[in-house]
Amino acid sequence: MLSCAARLVRAQIQSKPTACWVVAARGYADIVDEATFTTNEYALHKLDEGPSQTVTVTRDDALKYYRQMQTIRRMETAAGNLYKSKVIRGFCHLYSGQEACAVGMEAALTPDDHVITAYRAHGWTYTRGVPPVNILAELTGRKTGCAKGKGGSMHMYGKNFYGGNGIVGAQVPLGAGIALALKYTGSNNVCVALYGDGAANQGQVFETYNMAKLWDLPVIFVCENNGYGMGTAVERASASTDYYTRGDYVPGIRADGMDVLAVREATRFAAEWCRSGKGPVILEVATYRYSGHSMSDPGTSYRPREEIQEMRKTRDPITGLREKLISANIATAEEMKQIDLDVRAEIDKAVEQAKTDPELPVEEMYTDIFVDEPPFKVRGTNPFMYGMSK
Amino acid sequence: MASSVLWRTLGVAPIKLHMPALSPTMEEGTIISWLKKEGDPIAAGDPLCEIETDKATLTMDADDDGVMAKILVPGNTKNVRINELIALMVAEGEDHTQVDIPTETGTPSAAVDTPADAPVPTATENSSSSELSSMRHVAGGKGHVDLSPAVRYLVDSNGLDAATIVPTGPHGRLLKGSRRQEAVAPTTPSAPTPVAAPPPPPPPVTHPAVPPAAAEEDEFVDIPHTSMRRVIAKRLTQSKTTVPHAYSSIDCEMDSVLRLRKQLQGSGVKVSVNDFIIKAVGQALKTVPEVNAQWMGEAVQLLSNVDISVAVATDKGLITPIVTDVPSRGLQNISETVKELAGRARIGKLLPQEYQGGTFSVSNLGMFGISQFSAIINPPQSCIMAIGGSRVLVEPTEDGHTTKTVMTVTLCSDSRVVDDALASTFLENFKENLENPFKAALL
Repeated sequence: MLSCAARLVRAQIQSKPTACWVVAARGYADIVDEATFTTNEYALHKLDEGPSQTVTVTRDDALKYYRQMQTIRRMETAAGNLYKSKVIRGFCHLYSGQEACAVGMEAALTPDDHVITAYRAHGWTYTRGVPPVNILAELTGRKTGCAKGKGGSMHMYGKNFYGGNGIVGAQVPLGAGIALALKYTGSNNVCVALYGDGAANQGQVFETYNMAKLWDLPVIFVCENNGYGMGTAVERASASTDYYTRGDYVPGIRADGMDVLAVREATRFAAEWCRSGKGPVILEVATYRYSGHSMSDPGTSYRPREEIQEMRKTRDPITGLREKLISANIATAEEMKQIDLDVRAEIDKAVEQAKTDPELPVEEMYTDIFVDEPPFKVRGTNPFMYGMSK
Repeated sequence: MASSVLWRTLGVAPIKLHMPALSPTMEEGTIISWLKKEGDPIAAGDPLCEIETDKATLTMDADDDGVMAKILVPGNTKNVRINELIALMVAEGEDHTQVDIPTETGTPSAAVDTPADAPVPTATENSSSSELSSMRHVAGGKGHVDLSPAVRYLVDSNGLDAATIVPTGPHGRLLKGSRRQEAVAPTTPSAPTPVAAPPPPPPPVTHPAVPPAAAEEDEFVDIPHTSMRRVIAKRLTQSKTTVPHAYSSIDCEMDSVLRLRKQLQGSGVKVSVNDFIIKAVGQALKTVPEVNAQWMGEAVQLLSNVDISVAVATDKGLITPIVTDVPSRGLQNISETVKELAGRARIGKLLPQEYQGGTFSVSNLGMFGISQFSAIINPPQSCIMAIGGSRVLVEPTEDGHTTKTVMTVTLCSDSRVVDDALASTFLENFKENLENPFKAALL
């Protein structure tokens, strides 16, 4: 009886999530295998129907998302502390508060899809498959960093992940280019090009919309709207703060960026749209960052501390998911506490390693210049200093 | 579950809070006050303490939820180095009174003891300090050969051993300011925190030309510079060394002013002699506009507005609040403005635009009994008028004598802009204005 119900449930999951009500199957223990939730409304632009407000998540997936978000949160906190102890120098832009965007989107994509984002990239580097220890080692500039320590915060790369870009908005035309390559080579994959509310006013972004729509490129433009472009609130920066409509002829969706399941659902819809050859889509995720723009910004001079505390208390993505899962009996509080502890231990270990791993030797200064070139002489920092590229 | 039981038997593992570097150039800061007491619950994002950096006062926020367990460095502590352990927190639900206080205080180990091959970031201080330590061994071996005659005299006359003095000059040379190495308690390197924090630079040389003998330290007292004193010193030196000062003095008869002042007092208007002087200067500047000028690189810039900086002595130093557009103000207005600005200056509440700028300065030491003095120009202004005190002179006349009250003013001017001839014209005008206040007011 129970197994029939379970099979029915599993069959229903295979189908595309439309407005069907899935009955949660109760196991012997009180923990269920999956649950259904209703998300907030999606705002739509030039779309007749949008993503489903009813989202289903299995226990395994839910715990995976929870663990991923918690990992990103702890990793960013650790990076902040390392920066404050002057172990990390230079730029450091933290993703705390926006975890649901990266985790939710990654849940709807495959590792063969491509992603390019701006400088707030540590969370994305993790979801794209780089372990936290390599991310932290890259921030502290060690050999074990994902870019051998040569890139730092804003130049982290992975498989099908193009960074990490410092110039505001420049990654959007690149994203369309990647999508063009995907279409040209006939693959069924999409490219996700992310930018922020500040970059959304860049001219190059609109040029990209035009080309993407003209040639029906499989690119999802994602605007991570966290309410502030550095220190400027969106109302003071943009004539229209409905970033999902800014593409005009490009259809758009706005989703709640603090709800990982809503983000996943919206991305699924957008990816399907692109894969079916209908052209680009804009996905605006309304999210929030707790820290300042970067480590040199305390983050409290342009917004009241109470606002940040309010967001932490009422709309935190991790707490939100935890409450949902406990109330739907899909996981217990102890389980999630254990995940918290495991993640904390993992990140603490990664921090230790990031602080003690060896740095690059000076000879590495001359390497990684060209791909597939035989070794040639490279001038060093003055005309009397030379090295050999490998 | 089992792990938390284990913790309770061993004492609660603390979450360590270290002194953060709140700006990229921060090496040390002051903890002004703690906003959480021991036992207070902490939510992520809550402000923990106020820290004063070299630039501003910022708050340190909490990253995690928890309970404040122990404050190791109390409020009002200056010179806390980056990465020093300042407090301990425990996770939510733990007993904060059972927190394990680490035995080492976690101060970064001294620069000298860092081995050269430790994986430290490329701070330039690190390489120079290790070089310095290697140099010291060389200098100690060579001993007296490296001493300059002045240093050798000081060492010999005070009966010191050159090897015990820490060399602070280039290439490990002993300077007159090098201090004898005091016996220092060995600093235990903090085990849990790896040697990754940049080590502090060697202590700066404090007293040049002071004999490095510990016994005579009571002969002097150091008053550390406030930032205000530093700025004043810098600007005065810059002014006196780069601007060619010229001085012209004139005596003014103050009888009309004093009479007028008494009259006004009778009708209830309180003005001081200084207000008359400021007014007279303002009028003179309108008559001789070439003095209301500044020396620029390519031209002499004649300024259209007459803003007079009035020197006010505060216990922190001399500050010059500005009375703007003097010719358009009446005496009473000037008097009230000067009183208000001086009051605010003494409590340090002047806005920058109220003391930066100005086209002419007036400094009055008459109330201190000074008869005549010269002042230093505040660049980029081109003049400062030094007012002395009034004195009574007796003049013989045909049938007896008269007395008159006379005051000496000295105009110190930038002779590139205001040469002696121009200064004389200006001073004549000023004297005229001061001795005939009615004429100046009506015409």
